[in-house]
Amino acid sequence: MAEMWINMGPQHPMTHGLWNLRVKVDGETIVDAQPEVGYLHRGIEKLCEGKTYPQIIPLADRLCYGSSLTWSHLYCMAVEDLMKVEVPERAEYIRVLTIEMQRIVSHLMWLAAYAGDLGLGVGFVYTMREREVFLDLFQSLTGARITYNFPRIGGVAHDLPQNFERDTLRAITFFEGRLKEYEDLFEGSKIFMMRNVGVGILKKEDAINLGVTGPSLRASGVTYDLRKDLPYSVYEEMDFRVATHKDCDCYARYRVRMDEMWESCQIMKQALKKMPEGKWRIVAPRNAPVGTGLARVEDPRGEGMIYIVGDGSDKPYRVKIRSPIFVTVSAAPKMLIGYKLADVVAIMGGLDMCIGETDR
Amino acid sequence: MAEREKSDQKEDMERAPSRIDAVPEERLIRALMNTFPEAITGFTKLRDGFVRAKLDRRELFKVCKFLRDELGFEHFSMISAVEYDDRFEIVYHITSYQNKLLIELITRTPKDDPSVDSVASIWGGANWQERESYDLMGIRFNGHPNLERILLPKDYTFHPLRKDFKG
Repeated sequence: MAEMWINMGPQHPMTHGLWNLRVKVDGETIVDAQPEVGYLHRGIEKLCEGKTYPQIIPLADRLCYGSSLTWSHLYCMAVEDLMKVEVPERAEYIRVLTIEMQRIVSHLMWLAAYAGDLGLGVGFVYTMREREVFLDLFQSLTGARITYNFPRIGGVAHDLPQNFERDTLRAITFFEGRLKEYEDLFEGSKIFMMRNVGVGILKKEDAINLGVTGPSLRASGVTYDLRKDLPYSVYEEMDFRVATHKDCDCYARYRVRMDEMWESCQIMKQALKKMPEGKWRIVAPRNAPVGTGLARVEDPRGEGMIYIVGDGSDKPYRVKIRSPIFVTVSAAPKMLIGYKLADVVAIMGGLDMCIGETDR
Repeated sequence: MAEREKSDQKEDMERAPSRIDAVPEERLIRALMNTFPEAITGFTKLRDGFVRAKLDRRELFKVCKFLRDELGFEHFSMISAVEYDDRFEIVYHITSYQNKLLIELITRTPKDDPSVDSVASIWGGANWQERESYDLMGIRFNGHPNLERILLPKDYTFHPLRKDFKG
């Protein structure tokens, strides 16, 4: 049969955003693939050069609508490194608490979309429902449900509201029970397992060489998590396990994210327990010195990095953002070639794409 | 008995340099200084597990190959291009998973010839990031397999992150 190119996107239910995947098929089998990105490019790095340091925090939120808080936190960490600002301990604990909650929200949104992709409509509704519990907590904390604008340079915007600790513990207990239910729901489904096990294999050497990070890397058998290996904030004080899997397929990526949600619950409980009293914010200087600042965090999707150059004024000279999914997508052909056209949805869905941060 | 003491002392003396070797940053700096005495200048240890080095752009490819093959830097984290009044600076961040190290390599190019060697053949993860730097900042990467625009349309004629570009 003659080979032909098929465009999956830019408008396609699989894409979850706006990007294009060109696949070359021989019958049903994929022989080549070319991802194309850039449809959502907003020039955020250039926009940053025209704004003062605090004005960029809400802009950093808009990098990824799925996990906005990790990006504004990462940006604040980079500016703190540039300005040499020490963050109060209570603020660090509040940050860890909220970014772990954000990780659960982000993974739940991925799971909902993934379940929808693979034809498990009921999985979509359940996971979105549990996500609401945490969104309500975020609303009581920050007043917003998606883009929070909560971290500040030198701390966080305000202290935890009344009864927040009680409500969070209640939500975690509720969610831990539901997590077990999901595992039964998904892994008990024969269709879900058939579409996941042994599909989209990404070998360990390829994953490392192609710069894949985050859950997709750990699903290929590499035990590397920045929270554990190069701890930032107060992750050194936390006792948790790095979720890994050695099967390298879509099921392994699903399994790693499920385990991560469980570990996030444990970290949140410890953060609440160990949280000291005290200040939650210090006032940072308006102007940054001449120099550079670098921060890297374990985003829900991989290794997020921001490199800032300051020139002594109140605006950054250059902001460079490393998006984990931008690099992971470039590894997509390695995973796709040799599988059937129907597997594309499972393989690309399993990567947890977020086009907002990919195109910036 | 005396002999035994002597051998103990000898052992201690042998162990002394390896204690410095036990500090991974020191070992990294020493290995680079011994292999590329002229190409690399200005080592700084920024914080634990994070070293900055400045190098000549002509030696970039060799240094990167040495970093991956001999020193275990297997993950290419990020490439950032920064424009200054008189030069471009290209900053590479490269990670070692085994030794839990991060190295920042800074290389300079003149304003009229913004080009360096591509490292996409060493780390596949550098491929798209180099294309992005070409697209937005106009840095040319010699030997790149497919140096085309990635975020902006192919017929676009500007490099928008340059300071002389006014939107």
